[in-house]
Amino acid sequence: MITSKKWLSQYMDLSDITVQELADKLTTAGLEVEGLEPMAQGTHLTIGYVKECVDHPDSDHLHICQVDLGDKVDQIVCGAPNVQAGQKVIVALPGAQLPNGEIKKGVIRGVESNGMICSLLELGVDPKALSEESKSGIEVLGEDAQIGGDPLAYLGLDDTLIDVGLTPNRNDCLSSWAMAKETGAILHKTVTLPDCEGASDIGTPTQLKVSSATPKCPHFMGKVINEVTIKPSPKWMQDLLHAAGVKSINNVVDISNFVMLETGQPTHFYDIAKMHQDIVVADGFDTTYTALDGVEYKIEKEDIMITTQGQPVGIAGIMGGDDSKIDESTKGIIIEVATFNHVSIRNTARRLNITSDASVRNAKEIEPMAVKKAMDRCVQLLIEYADAKGIEETVVYGDSGYTPVTIQINADAINAHLGTDFSVEEMSEELKWLDLNPQVNGKDMVVSIPSYRTDLKIQEDISEEIIRLIGYDRLPSTLPVMPMTVGALNRRQAMRRKIRTILTGMGYNEAETYTLVSAELLKRSVMPITPVVELASPMSEDRRYVRNSILPSLLNAVSYNQNRSVKDISLFEISNVYAEDAVEERLAVVMCGDVQKSRWQKLAIPANFYTMKGLAQSLFNSFGFDANRVFVKENTLDTEHFHPYRSAALYLGNQLLGIFGHIHPQLAKLCDVDQEVIMLEVNLEVLLNSNAGKVKYVPVSKYPSVTRDLAFVVNKEVPVAKIKELIRKAGKQIIRQVDVFDVYTGEHVDADSKSIALSIVFQSSEATLTDAQINEIHDKIIASLEKEVGAKLRG
Amino acid sequence: MEQLKQLRAQAEQAIQNCDTLSKLNDCRVEYLGKKGPLQEAMKEMKNLDPADRPAFGASVNEIKSFIASLIEEKKAELEVKEMNERLEKEKIDITLDGFEPNLGNVHPLTLVQQELEDLFIGLGYTVAEGPEVEMDLYNFERANIPHGHPARDMQDTFYIDAERLLRTHTTAIQTRQLEAHAPKLPIKVICPGKVYRRDDDDATHSHQFTQMEGLVVAEGIQLSDLKGTLEFMAKKMFGDKRVIRFRPSYFQFTEPSVEVDVSCHICNGKGCPVCKHTGWIEILGAGMVHPNVLEMAGYDSTKCSGFAFGVGVERVAMLKYGIDDIRHFYTNDVRFLKVFSRFD
Repeated sequence: MITSKKWLSQYMDLSDITVQELADKLTTAGLEVEGLEPMAQGTHLTIGYVKECVDHPDSDHLHICQVDLGDKVDQIVCGAPNVQAGQKVIVALPGAQLPNGEIKKGVIRGVESNGMICSLLELGVDPKALSEESKSGIEVLGEDAQIGGDPLAYLGLDDTLIDVGLTPNRNDCLSSWAMAKETGAILHKTVTLPDCEGASDIGTPTQLKVSSATPKCPHFMGKVINEVTIKPSPKWMQDLLHAAGVKSINNVVDISNFVMLETGQPTHFYDIAKMHQDIVVADGFDTTYTALDGVEYKIEKEDIMITTQGQPVGIAGIMGGDDSKIDESTKGIIIEVATFNHVSIRNTARRLNITSDASVRNAKEIEPMAVKKAMDRCVQLLIEYADAKGIEETVVYGDSGYTPVTIQINADAINAHLGTDFSVEEMSEELKWLDLNPQVNGKDMVVSIPSYRTDLKIQEDISEEIIRLIGYDRLPSTLPVMPMTVGALNRRQAMRRKIRTILTGMGYNEAETYTLVSAELLKRSVMPITPVVELASPMSEDRRYVRNSILPSLLNAVSYNQNRSVKDISLFEISNVYAEDAVEERLAVVMCGDVQKSRWQKLAIPANFYTMKGLAQSLFNSFGFDANRVFVKENTLDTEHFHPYRSAALYLGNQLLGIFGHIHPQLAKLCDVDQEVIMLEVNLEVLLNSNAGKVKYVPVSKYPSVTRDLAFVVNKEVPVAKIKELIRKAGKQIIRQVDVFDVYTGEHVDADSKSIALSIVFQSSEATLTDAQINEIHDKIIASLEKEVGAKLRG
Repeated sequence: MEQLKQLRAQAEQAIQNCDTLSKLNDCRVEYLGKKGPLQEAMKEMKNLDPADRPAFGASVNEIKSFIASLIEEKKAELEVKEMNERLEKEKIDITLDGFEPNLGNVHPLTLVQQELEDLFIGLGYTVAEGPEVEMDLYNFERANIPHGHPARDMQDTFYIDAERLLRTHTTAIQTRQLEAHAPKLPIKVICPGKVYRRDDDDATHSHQFTQMEGLVVAEGIQLSDLKGTLEFMAKKMFGDKRVIRFRPSYFQFTEPSVEVDVSCHICNGKGCPVCKHTGWIEILGAGMVHPNVLEMAGYDSTKCSGFAFGVGVERVAMLKYGIDDIRHFYTNDVRFLKVFSRFD
């Protein structure tokens, strides 16, 4: 909402306060001033009369002017193409501060110049408010301008615009009258609004009929004024319209706009000669309509239209039609003031992409009494400034639906709600300034709500009025006094943090990627849950679906980094993924390059299948699911995104926990990442919903352990897990650990075989093991491996 | 006896002259070995006068133990010497680079969220979460934003169908918490989570961002409690010298509603580009829970009251770390992420 110091000064004395102070007070009280904009800027400005204007002898465009400044005549060199003798002009005297700098006495191409003749652009006037003529040269003032007078006052530019950001509950302040009331309450100043009540209650019998065929227009006032005189509106009105950013057209059109600015209620005037005197508001049209702006609009059934004899003559509350508009030939008018359903107006205005002063106001709830106020004010101004005669009685359809509201409040309750100790007197003082007319009875008060404050409904609303006017600096700072509560993370939250601690400790960085993805990305989902959640109207195809897997987005992050020459990338993300009827919390990890390295020592933890496998198992171990419970199986679930022979599926019991392994070369190509990317996605719900058992201390054996190394040659296809399993089986109670320390293929080993070297730790919790005991198991292991998988002990 | 004296002096000299453990060992064999002079001397004893034998024997034994102790002393000395020589040879270049393990770190948004969570957990809050694919009911209706309210415009919300949407604020978690608890008191929760709005991504807007809201409902909760709580939070997040101020505002969920500014942590309130020369930085919106919200959830709003606040996690992170573009959070440039591994 743009108001200005001049607008507000109509209603109260603001001579003792600067615009900045005013802005600060409004902001502190909840009407946030987002900008202050002087309409024009400049000091040392005066009105001059160009007595003489001759071409500069040394220039093809400069002029030498003798300018009468009232108290003297001075010479000014001017470069404007439109300067002429006999004009009244704006002169910036030496010392003037203009937006682009200071004006000084000078010599221009050998000719003395004592100031500058100005254009409005040079005074910082918003170019949007200027005509092409004004923009192209110096401003030529009217005959009536007083030489030596203040040009900004003459032009009505001696004003500062105040841009107030209104919160949605204070749309009442789109009315200057309500804005004035609010300002007066904040400043504790008496506000006097124009007295127009009842001005429209006059008139002779009328033929006019108004009605509504839709509940979306519950209230409509129409009035015929048979005679008006079209002429320019008074200067003060033009200036105020200008400040509000409304173009002055003629007195009648200006009055319609001015009353809207004053009351917040849009009105519409029709040329009586071009209109049938039977107006019906209706919806249900499915047609096209060409409005005032010459644009053809597609009208749909829900749009409210103003019609006469079944034909639309305007889009209700948004824009009128060209056929019935006021022009120079207008002799009489029909006034329309009506209430339209604001949601309907908002939908129509948005769909048709029309933003007008009327549509902005009609798209919000307008106070119920505004219709009558606007009609009264129109009639009053039309009589005064448009010689209105032949006024017929007002025709009313429906009613305002207004019933006065009173609220019972209690000072103690308000103080208890706020935590303050305001006295009843303090409270009632502020309420008086707000025109709430408080009736005090001890600690109880009854307040009467003005019709325009539709936001005030309950005691809490009044408590806010009180504290914002008294000031939030009076609010103490306390902590809640309440029963003790225990702050804590739940299991899921604690688990999430544990995962983060483990992974970051191992060198992985947490990433965060977008939830909304494209169809393309969706095709790359790992363990997708379906059906996919799709937005009704996405902003772009890139953000159409709610993702059902994290990895595709993380791969984009890998691509981003690889394209910036970052080679070592270890990222993880924890996020929910969604399907129509499901949600899963997931963990995804991607790695490439080295996870850890010291180059000169030739040490590294490379990103490979086994690093990811170990990482996953280590993570599961920390949640109590050791390798005995987590099964690594061949990946038959997703060989489209994973390398079919370098990936695996993870199971906890028979539940699928996740998939990990090398990226499939084709997916790598699609994602623009290199082929050495290793990835993992895990469904954390499985971990969360499985019972890991309690952490329990098992005594450490006090008997020594013995380590024996063994090497076997076996067929290449024999999985190491099978060998380890056979060893453990053979050793039963006394084998503590089996570690592979070498896998070898090549020279000295048959082409279809491999050599596996293992180290086995024997230990008993009951006694020191004898060589004989160990040898017995040792022999058993060798026999079992030979029998089951054809393994041969290496010499 | 004279010979024995000579032998004693000779052995002492020989031991002193040893400069390696192996020479010392040779020395030991020479003097104390089975074929050494002392053993020989003992063999000679039978040729002595029986009266002289005890004295001779004692002398030989004394020399034996004297030599043995000298050897032990020398051995210890040489061992130290040899160890020191070996250590010297083991000298390394201490200026070569160490194996610095990569320390990963949590995302800056997680960092800020956890910091906020922890400070509120310390005040007795629990952490509540909820679905991002949310029902209109919890996102709007129960938050006192009825149908037809401008805040529900299609422009702001990602709808899935008539009833479902991507939550536009974590208020949706609050309305669920209220419903789950009603009519039990008290409620003391913080509600962090991702939220979504129809905004084009630019330096200051993101269609996805992170909020954390807080909600306290109990008997006798008042607006001043909100101020005290948020003051505590501001000091923890931005430093002990911070003060806060309330400005009136409007949210459907609360009445009264306030915007909360923190005195600028960069300039201490003097005015700088970060605070746009006002000395204050707007960090959150808050207020007293609207009675309609309490009633819709099943509370008697005359018997309890509550406050609620909401903070933008990205905004706090941007202010705290001086990040100039919200898109950095979602780009996941490893060089950006690594900045946040330091203890702060």
